Amino acid sequence: MSDTTFAPPAPAQVFGQTVGQTGNNNGKVQSSSLIAMQDLWKTYKMGSEEVHALHGVSFDVKKGEYIAITGPSGSGKSTLMNLIGCLDTPSKGQYWLNGKNVSEMDDDELARIRNQEVGFVFQTFNLLARATALHNVELPLIYGGIGAAKRHEMAKAALAAVDLSDRVTHQPNELSGGQRQRVAIARALVNHPSILLADEPTGALDTHTSMEIMDLFERLHAEGNTVVLVTHEPDIARRAHRVLSIRDGLIERDEKVR
Amino acid sequence: MLSGYEQTEPRSSTFEQRNQSSSRPRSFKLFRIAPLWEAFLVAAGSLRANKLRTSLTLVGIVVGVAAVISVVTIIKGLDKTVASTFSSQGSTVFTISQKPQIIKSREEFIKFSKRKEVTHDDEEAIARLCNACWRVGIAANAIQSLKHDNQTSDGVRVRGVTPTSMFDVDGVTIDVGRIWTEGEANSGHDVCVVGPDILKNLFNGAAPERALGQEIRVAGRPYEIIGVFEPLGSIFGFSRDNVVYIPYASYQKAYGARTSIVVFVQVPTAEQLEAAEDQVRTVMRTRRNKTFGQEDDEGFSLETQDVFLDLYGKATSNIYLVTIGVAAISLVVGGIVVMNIMLVSVTERTKEIGIRKAIGARRKDILTQFLIEAVTVTAIGGAFGVLTGFGLAYLISALIGFPLLVNVASAVLGVGVSSVVGIISGLWPAWRAAKLDPIEALRAE
Repeated sequence: MSDTTFAPPAPAQVFGQTVGQTGNNNGKVQSSSLIAMQDLWKTYKMGSEEVHALHGVSFDVKKGEYIAITGPSGSGKSTLMNLIGCLDTPSKGQYWLNGKNVSEMDDDELARIRNQEVGFVFQTFNLLARATALHNVELPLIYGGIGAAKRHEMAKAALAAVDLSDRVTHQPNELSGGQRQRVAIARALVNHPSILLADEPTGALDTHTSMEIMDLFERLHAEGNTVVLVTHEPDIARRAHRVLSIRDGLIERDEKVR
Repeated sequence: MLSGYEQTEPRSSTFEQRNQSSSRPRSFKLFRIAPLWEAFLVAAGSLRANKLRTSLTLVGIVVGVAAVISVVTIIKGLDKTVASTFSSQGSTVFTISQKPQIIKSREEFIKFSKRKEVTHDDEEAIARLCNACWRVGIAANAIQSLKHDNQTSDGVRVRGVTPTSMFDVDGVTIDVGRIWTEGEANSGHDVCVVGPDILKNLFNGAAPERALGQEIRVAGRPYEIIGVFEPLGSIFGFSRDNVVYIPYASYQKAYGARTSIVVFVQVPTAEQLEAAEDQVRTVMRTRRNKTFGQEDDEGFSLETQDVFLDLYGKATSNIYLVTIGVAAISLVVGGIVVMNIMLVSVTERTKEIGIRKAIGARRKDILTQFLIEAVTVTAIGGAFGVLTGFGLAYLISALIGFPLLVNVASAVLGVGVSSVVGIISGLWPAWRAAKLDPIEALRAE
């Protein structure tokens, strides 16, 4: 793969439409977009009834974008996030993440993609309680099979990037909510993922800390990271450059806000 | 397919640039050290955090392993004692007696009691007619009280023997003094050769030299000590040194001529044993008016020390079987306890499993994490069991007096078997953890 693969796609008709040619499935780069979703369906069986959480969602995200996905609860927002984060696979349709067809991967392949391409930030931080900040940040590298010395170095750099160099040996219960979320962000960043995927990252924080975290996301975006933010708060969504509104399993609006 | 993920992908983020190197190895080997070590650390941490639970979990494993280790160690120690004891007489000696040395039932006892006694005449006939026999002698035993001055010692074995070559047959060597001469024996001198325990019990542990020439009373009759033999040690806690040897003539005077005796025969080497036994059988059958091939009782018992070894072997193999049974039951129960605790552990840590899966742990990583935890518990249990087992064996060996053989192989086996129990009982809980859906797991509290 050469760097040119990641060159910005043609600006025309980006919003709400598929840009890449996702026709043949030969495992090579099909799209110039980082995220390419084409007619994505997710269907759950509730007894004898079939419930469609997503009804054919298609959209692209370019490298370096800052996008918010919003919608009321039950809109399919969480389902979409799980698909983007490769925690789940679609019932129908194609999903290409950084040139890889994720829609047809098995459990272990998905685990690899999550490890290498996705950096998760959760509402409740989801840090390991008994581990230090450093160990928490090292965790993705451990599953990536990276040796101890290199791991420490990378994890320390990631903690430095979120201004937590002085909290390396602290355990989560010795940190404030904002600091915990920054540890989680460092953990998401440490493996240099293709996307930062944040699910209500300020949901458990007070207003002041929320703003700090949002400033941090802004800075990370400015540094070149692709950020996907899932939130139901309009204030938070407005911080993104593009807002995707989901309702009843469909994209209702896709607008550039900044 | 795999090679696609192993490629290094250049990224252009400034975060990456700050990290200077953009090329980092993305290897997914079959066994990666980092997750294994992580799994071990997690296991150790969770066991430390649940000390009480962990120690209760261990009990079954500890009991099972300790039982095996202590019994194996004790029996190995006994084996050594038994082997050295019987080899002092060795496989060159056999005995002829009225009753076998081991009687298994009342019926047998009645049957054997109907036989004619083995007498001094039988011994003389054997000595005369068996040319393959090297040493032939008589021994008769009684348990008596000894007295010296105002000191008394009960339960002492009095052994009347003739001729003096019986000392050689018994493997007894003189430490101080001498054995009696045939002349003394035949003229009815009441002399004796005593074991070291007699000095301890009747002479306040005096030096053997000081006991020589002293008089002891056996069942009221006085005997002069003319020799002290070297210690033979003890077996199963019974001392073999608490013995008084007297001439058979004196024994007869004290206990009568009709007491049952045992004829001892020794051959120079084990190869001649069978020939000597055949000759002795012929002599004895003739004297008991039995013919060859007769189905009924031949009227006497001809035995080597192997009967004891056989009995001992049967007894210990039964003990082994019972122990293996006990150990198997406690290991199965222990394994179920471990499985139960691991299931609890998996349920408790569902959220953690979800987090780990979200950031890239594969099924195999989760599976090994919980397997390692289970194996760590049981291996620690096994190690404790080994230590407890050796401790028990040490206590028992100190109490009844036999050498302790610490067997490294049994220690390794103890820890190994309990680790296998860990793998077996950890497998199902670990598999349940591994196949958890990450979305569901993350939702858990």
